[in-house]
Amino acid sequence: MHEHSLEDTKNGHRVAIVGNPNVGKSVIFGLLTGRYATVSNYPGTTVTLTSGSCKAGGEDLWVTDTPGVNTLIPMSEDEVVTRDILLNQAIKLVVQVADAKNPSRGLQISLQLAEMGLPFMLVLNMWDEANSRGIDINVKKLSDAIGTTVIPTIGVQRKGIKELRESLTEERYSSLSISYGNLIEDGIKKLEAILPQSRISRRSIALMLLAGDASLKPWLNKNVSPSDVTTIDAIRRDLQNKFYEPLGYVINQIRLKKAEKIVEGVLSRHQKSGSNVTVHIGKWAMHPVWGIPVLLAALFLMYEFVGVLGAQVLVGLLEEGLFGNYINPYMTFIAERFIPDLFFRDLFVGEYGIITMALTYSIALILPIVGTFFIAFGILEDSGYLPRLAIMVHKIFKLMGLHGKAVLPMVLGLGCDTMATFTARVMETRKERVIVTLLLALGVPCSAQLGVILGMLGGVSLTATLVWAFSVILVIFLVGYLSSKVLKGESSDFVFDIPPLRIPVLSNIVFKTLSRTEWYLKEAVPLFIVGTLILFTLDKIGGLEVIERIASPVVVSFLGLPAKATEAFLIGFLRRDYGAAGLFALAQNGQLNPNQVVISLVTITLFVPCVANLLVMIKERGLRTALAMVAFIFPFAFFVGGVLNFGFNLLGIKL
Amino acid sequence: MMDYHRSRDQFEEDRIDEVLELIWILREEGESHIEDVRKRSEDPNVSQVLYIVESEGLVSTDNGRISFDQQGEKRAENVIRRHRLAERLLSEVFEIEEKQVEDHACELEHTHVLSEVVVDSICTFLGHPPTCPHGKAIPRGECCKRFSNELKPLVVPLTELHIGDEARIVFISSKYHARLDRLSSLGIVPGGILHLHQKQPTYLIKIGETELALDRELAKEIFAKKMQQG
Repeated sequence: MHEHSLEDTKNGHRVAIVGNPNVGKSVIFGLLTGRYATVSNYPGTTVTLTSGSCKAGGEDLWVTDTPGVNTLIPMSEDEVVTRDILLNQAIKLVVQVADAKNPSRGLQISLQLAEMGLPFMLVLNMWDEANSRGIDINVKKLSDAIGTTVIPTIGVQRKGIKELRESLTEERYSSLSISYGNLIEDGIKKLEAILPQSRISRRSIALMLLAGDASLKPWLNKNVSPSDVTTIDAIRRDLQNKFYEPLGYVINQIRLKKAEKIVEGVLSRHQKSGSNVTVHIGKWAMHPVWGIPVLLAALFLMYEFVGVLGAQVLVGLLEEGLFGNYINPYMTFIAERFIPDLFFRDLFVGEYGIITMALTYSIALILPIVGTFFIAFGILEDSGYLPRLAIMVHKIFKLMGLHGKAVLPMVLGLGCDTMATFTARVMETRKERVIVTLLLALGVPCSAQLGVILGMLGGVSLTATLVWAFSVILVIFLVGYLSSKVLKGESSDFVFDIPPLRIPVLSNIVFKTLSRTEWYLKEAVPLFIVGTLILFTLDKIGGLEVIERIASPVVVSFLGLPAKATEAFLIGFLRRDYGAAGLFALAQNGQLNPNQVVISLVTITLFVPCVANLLVMIKERGLRTALAMVAFIFPFAFFVGGVLNFGFNLLGIKL
Repeated sequence: MMDYHRSRDQFEEDRIDEVLELIWILREEGESHIEDVRKRSEDPNVSQVLYIVESEGLVSTDNGRISFDQQGEKRAENVIRRHRLAERLLSEVFEIEEKQVEDHACELEHTHVLSEVVVDSICTFLGHPPTCPHGKAIPRGECCKRFSNELKPLVVPLTELHIGDEARIVFISSKYHARLDRLSSLGIVPGGILHLHQKQPTYLIKIGETELALDRELAKEIFAKKMQQG
């Protein structure tokens, strides 16, 4: 019954939020529904649809947040997602969010919505930023010009949301129309005669087809007979031949002109309210020279916060203090009293115990590091620094067949590779996504692992740390470079909207950090427990020794490590940070010399991050691609470790 | 009786063009000596061609130095102009490899291949470029003179603007339709006014209130006209 009524809500009362990238759709969505959709100051963060219910004027509405689009003629996969929801679903109202600083770009979409014959209203968000830049928009005039409701809002300050909610129940069709000139209008008429009735107007579909929208193919094949498809193609080709420029481009230009004309009539400028600090820092952060110190400063602050405060101070408090002094001795005490059987006692508090190993590790060691990282990343993300970082590193990434936009998944990977693999979607082509996924899985250590590794290397020497870092970076770079040469397919263009630098809103950072940490714990803790159980079982049945013997040619002879390290690698298949923690224990017991520390750490850094990551790789890139990557990564990790061992021996290096 | 000119075949005309072109290039580099022409010409019988150009009043020689006469100057200028415009067209618009550009440009430099009208159209299409891809000057044609009278600033790719310049986009030449669509959806269309903020590490432009980072690849394809500083 419940399912049924929910379906009803979805069908009759669906509201879709659409708009250009980075205009605050997700913020508005969150305010309307109380549900959290990832909000950030980085264009293209929303890659899938998120929906939630919202009450407005006694009605139950089903609101959907969509990925940002610059035009409803899709050019990338996430734009297809947005267009398809408009094309295929019954929509009660479209809430179009636009950047008040950039009304003409928003109006290009309004024009298309009006063309589609969909009821919509326009939200001019970031009203404060427009104001401080000296831009004044006459809301009344604009509303008259486009014939629908216009509401100014400041999403992050919750201003204008009440008015927005109140007008959600109004269904208003815009009166906007646009003429594309005799030739194109003729083509539209011819196509309209062929096209079937559908949820959006024939005229708008005709325009999409004329513009050469390839993503409409599946829809066409479903709704139009094959002979008509051929006719449509012929009409399009005929018309294109009459234009020197591609039709899609001609159509876009006409829309932009119209949008600019509307803006001219409603926009006035006043004196800017002075330049502020964020504008200057924003400029420095992407300057070819000053950008470098800004980058170093950001890195340094991040290190101080995550590496020192998180990985040292907080870990120290939790691991030695809370777990070492209180929980573990206390639990051991209880276990000894109440669990007579040694086997079950060990299961909880033994060498491979769920409490003494899995929980200590996940709560005391990982949580503080991951938590502080997510706070730092949230600040970076919301401030708008990441797009500037993308500019700074663009050229390096270009050598790896990527471009600056890959900075988002790569930096997020330093927090959690699994999460980052999802965001590989910010890249536009399949080739780029495969490279990003591969590099994340191969070389980018997540914060949990990074914490363990740096702790371990810190105990050895600075040289050892540098050797490790250099090896890993070199491997990432080489593999990236080679795969960009080997993999077929295109790389996309680097055109990137740079949002203004903003002071992050505390509540959003908190919200974001909590939801990410929660997600992380849900992913990680069960795996820690499973891993511990596997080790525990193997230990009890004597399996560990057998595996150590089998693996010894590789681990002992090839990598030059003690047989006990096999255990760490074994568990590293499950989670590589967990494997690293095993190595940490070995090193603490003095079973690894500095050379061995570096070799074992480089090897385990190059492992696939964890089972969860593998599942996401399969989900996002497909089973075959994911398995191919895994088949490459594990042997390759051992190979690099072996080469390093060989190199140390050959050159007689003692770290 | 056949006129000597008429009876001369196209092949010979082309040889004359080549020698005149060489003399022009030598003059750009410093002085044109007959000896240098002999040394650098690829014509197996360069003496014969030199005899013809001198006897026809295209060039004069004085003490081993060679200089153009009015007619010769005009003809050499035309050849050079065709050659360098062709280089620019091939390398920038069609993105043909450098090695091949040279071969094709040599074919295109002759009058019988490209007529005056076509050459002027190419020049206008390229925005009356002042130099060839190697940085050598392209002689101005009639179309450029008209152009500079009407519209003083030249149409250049974004890569040739200076940081801080304000410019109006005149056209975007890309062989990728998707690229045009993408740029236009971001507001980069002819008529748009942009400010160039940075060229490194990537291009950074501002159109209206939108700030965009662009790869050099794309910047090369956006042609703009600098606005008068006022």
